[in-house]
Amino acid sequence: MAMNRYIGKVTVGEVISWIVLIVVLLFCLLPIAFMLSASFMDAKQIMAMPFDWLPKKSFFTSEGRTFLTNFSKAIHGNNNNNMFFRNLFNSLLVAISCSITTVLLASLCGYGLAKFRFRGRNFVFMSIMATMMIPFEAIMIPLYMVASMFKMMNTYAGLIVPFLVSAFGVFQMRQYLITFPAEYLDASRVDGLGEFPIYWRIVLPNCTPVVATLGILSFRNQWDNLLWPLLVSQREEMKTIPQYISKFSEEKQTDEGALMACALLASIPMFILFFTLSKYFLGGAAVFESRKG
Amino acid sequence: MKNKIKTYSIERKQARWGLLFTIPCLLFFAVFSFYPIINAFFTSLTNRQALNRTSEWVGLDNYVYLFTKSNGGFSFGNSLRATLEFTLGTFIPMVVIALLLAVFLMQLRSTKTAKFLELAYYTPAVLSSVVAATIWMILFDPRGLVNQISNLLMNTTGRDFGWLVNSNMLQVSTMIVYFWKYIGYFVILFITGLAAIPPGIYEAATVDGSSRWHTFWRITLPLLKPTAVLVSIMAMLQCLKTFSTQYMFTQNGAARQPIDVITMNIYYTGIRNGRLGRASAMSIILFLIMLVLTYLQFSVSKTDDVEY
Repeated sequence: MAMNRYIGKVTVGEVISWIVLIVVLLFCLLPIAFMLSASFMDAKQIMAMPFDWLPKKSFFTSEGRTFLTNFSKAIHGNNNNNMFFRNLFNSLLVAISCSITTVLLASLCGYGLAKFRFRGRNFVFMSIMATMMIPFEAIMIPLYMVASMFKMMNTYAGLIVPFLVSAFGVFQMRQYLITFPAEYLDASRVDGLGEFPIYWRIVLPNCTPVVATLGILSFRNQWDNLLWPLLVSQREEMKTIPQYISKFSEEKQTDEGALMACALLASIPMFILFFTLSKYFLGGAAVFESRKG
Repeated sequence: MKNKIKTYSIERKQARWGLLFTIPCLLFFAVFSFYPIINAFFTSLTNRQALNRTSEWVGLDNYVYLFTKSNGGFSFGNSLRATLEFTLGTFIPMVVIALLLAVFLMQLRSTKTAKFLELAYYTPAVLSSVVAATIWMILFDPRGLVNQISNLLMNTTGRDFGWLVNSNMLQVSTMIVYFWKYIGYFVILFITGLAAIPPGIYEAATVDGSSRWHTFWRITLPLLKPTAVLVSIMAMLQCLKTFSTQYMFTQNGAARQPIDVITMNIYYTGIRNGRLGRASAMSIILFLIMLVLTYLQFSVSKTDDVEY
């Protein structure tokens, strides 16, 4: 039963924990800070030894560079085909569509599973849970063959359809809706509201936290998705942002500044989402934990 | 009597709506999960190729091939090794450090600071994997920051650690990128688990004169075991599916051999080389590995719950 040891007024344990917390903090944030400052630098300054964290003014004026040279390079792309905004649009469209359909389909299915007693309910629930065991990576080859059979290569349908809903989303929605007070539903039934309007006007508007968490999760998964677009989108104008960065980095290996500018631009939408809705990002993990129950 | 029958039929009618609500999802999963995995299984028993559109039944030949032949220099055995090493090398440090950080964060006196740190640790998870790999590739450059900092720490000058060249270092590099991206996420999972432990238990321990260290080993850790097991399996599943980091590294000139994880081998074999049958066999093996782990996850989460 050793008591805590003290250095002055703080315990040794506290000092150690602060050191660890700060070291990890630096480890987590320095690469992001590096991306920020390097996106304004030219290759020479990025590779300078020792590294200078603030972009030097002299680099903006030399060789006709301006403050935004890197960003304009990132947007114009390798052969000035200006695919950046097109690909950004594709990514946004795919991510937004998938998060909307995931929320709608998963909540509908979760509501059906949570609040109705129909025959075969357990079977339906278990089958959907079983799909959680099938990783996307294991079925991408057959999906690729299906996509090419149905002429979905290089189309938005090809990018979106395999991710319309996720088993995990259904599960989350069901867990959340099980505790939804049945009195509301019965009251609405007495008031003569149909079953679908009850879902649409009573249930859906009342599960904002889980809708937001699930929507963000699904948005982020698609925003981050590289593997599937690599398979189905080969035409430049159908590529997504991860593919754009990947290609840009292959061809601009020596222009690190432009590469970092490209990475920074591509991260802005997620940063905006994160800093406005951070509680749902962090809450996502909490809901994930409910998987235990 | 009449009344009873009536309510019964209303419930039946209602129940039908429930089934109706689940049908869209059921159809979706039938077409985009169950059909593909069955299809992958049957394709793995054929020599199907993308280019000449042949598809003959070859039985288990693909599986035998994967475990005996070199698959054009990038053997499946090597992929298993790379995936296993990556998974072990990433998820063990990640789970241990995430647990430590979560415990430290919970003990901070100011919740404001704790919230700020949580948010900061989580920030890398917001960046996409491609961006993460891009940033770290520049940091790992021979003249880059990581070499400078390592030299500073090791008290050497101008030494190149060969982060992207040496095959062992290359593996470590991919682990660092992954660790960096996901640490915050796992910290939050642990914090959720820790928050569920009633504070009364800690108070009792403090009153009894238990030190922090002692409290951690004897109280926090045993109570957290179910969460820890669950998080570990989740982290393992996550690591087994890694693709983007390794893909970005190889696309930018790193050697493929040391970091040729299963998903990347599936991609190269199936999509780049068009050997769909062989790639499907790899997919099925990956699926089986993950199936076992998921089964473990479910059985652990069912039986090992702590009651307070």
